[in-house]
Amino acid sequence: MEVIEVTDLRKSYGDTVAVDGVTFTVRAGETFGIVGHNGAGKTTTVECLIGLRRGDAGTVRVLGEDPARRRRALAQRLGVQLQDSSLPERLKVAEALRLFGALYRDAADWRRVMDRWGLRPLARKAFGDLSGGQRQRLMLALALVGDPEVVVLDELTTGLDPIARRETWRLIGELKAAGTTVVLVSHYFDEIEALCDRVAVLARGRVAATGTTGELVARTGTASLEEAYLALEGADR
Amino acid sequence: MRAFTALAAAELRLLARDPASLFFMVAFPLMLLVLKRGDSGAVPGYLAMIAAIGGMGALPGLLASYRERKVLKRLATTPISPVLLLGAQLVAQVAAGLAGSALLVVVTIAVFGAQPPGNVVLLAAAFLLCSVMVCALGFVIAAVVRNTRGASLIGMLVMFPMIFLSGAAVPRKVLPGSLRQIGDFLPLTPAVEALGDAWSGTAAVFPLLILAGIIVAATAAGAALFRWE
Repeated sequence: MEVIEVTDLRKSYGDTVAVDGVTFTVRAGETFGIVGHNGAGKTTTVECLIGLRRGDAGTVRVLGEDPARRRRALAQRLGVQLQDSSLPERLKVAEALRLFGALYRDAADWRRVMDRWGLRPLARKAFGDLSGGQRQRLMLALALVGDPEVVVLDELTTGLDPIARRETWRLIGELKAAGTTVVLVSHYFDEIEALCDRVAVLARGRVAATGTTGELVARTGTASLEEAYLALEGADR
Repeated sequence: MRAFTALAAAELRLLARDPASLFFMVAFPLMLLVLKRGDSGAVPGYLAMIAAIGGMGALPGLLASYRERKVLKRLATTPISPVLLLGAQLVAQVAAGLAGSALLVVVTIAVFGAQPPGNVVLLAAAFLLCSVMVCALGFVIAAVVRNTRGASLIGMLVMFPMIFLSGAAVPRKVLPGSLRQIGDFLPLTPAVEALGDAWSGTAAVFPLLILAGIIVAATAAGAALFRWE
């Protein structure tokens, strides 16, 4: 079953074409990666997926709904971690989790989410006093506190140290095992390789290729996803 | 409703944690009252001042910073409606102002032995209208001025002259004629009048109607101009 269907999505800001005909599908329970340069159209695509933007043309369906029209209904079933978003400086970790839990109809128990993501020791710490990695971990936990069916994570492990990164990978693995559909936007190829079932390579607002890491590597005659990406991105130029 | 209550409660808690808000909405009016030796005639004006400091002095910078730091954007990906999100800010500001005002009124009566307000219900209604009105003006400032520093600064630049010329901080009687005339056109002036009327117990409907009109106009302008990012 397709959980996300994007067909010929287009979006321009003035004269700048951000997304120029993007098409891909994500199946239920799949972990799907979106890779690409800065400016390749990743963030605009993600913002159309979660209903923050409406495309100029094309269709987007998430769990059968049009996010641009049914953003709030869809938001009940969607968990989102945005690139460099933040919280009020004086809001404490436990308060943030409790607050976000209260925003969803069927939320997970925020205390369990706090324990699971190792945030208990930081419960009484204010957002403004957290380190970059701690903030990232909290924002991830907030994406999951609504007990979502689909999770969209934009730049998952940016700012995390290697140990925290591995720990995050392990937790994403658990999500996957629980049947949650995950969309991962990243420019860390090792991360995409380790976590994703399939990948869409975005270049200049288009999908240059979609497939498993193995398929992309085989198609380009390269040795790794990173090399495959560079070959595809170059071929598209 | 649960989401709205949780958000408003969180915002109120954040206000209570902010030393500047706490000082200007609670301690500062009490200090002025002491300097005035507990003169209850000044109190209705101070109530308007408390509301104005929250709605125009603090709210625009707060909203602009939420927008700039992508707090609003993050909340926009949750099921809460954008209107409720701003509504929670308003409720928190009004509640904080109400707490500061209640304390000021109680101290005026209990410590300085002033006569209680003539019409408490009307006083509360006037305060609510006044508080919602200044918050609506604060939304307009946050809608027009995009960055945090600019919104804070413009909020202060609008708020300070207004509290002096509208009779909130000092009685309009003491102002020279030309400055008093400016006050006639400021939105806080009918708020000070309404609060003063309610305090003395001489109910007048007209200032309340003006406040309601300003609320409608400013909310419409704010809604049309406000940008989420």
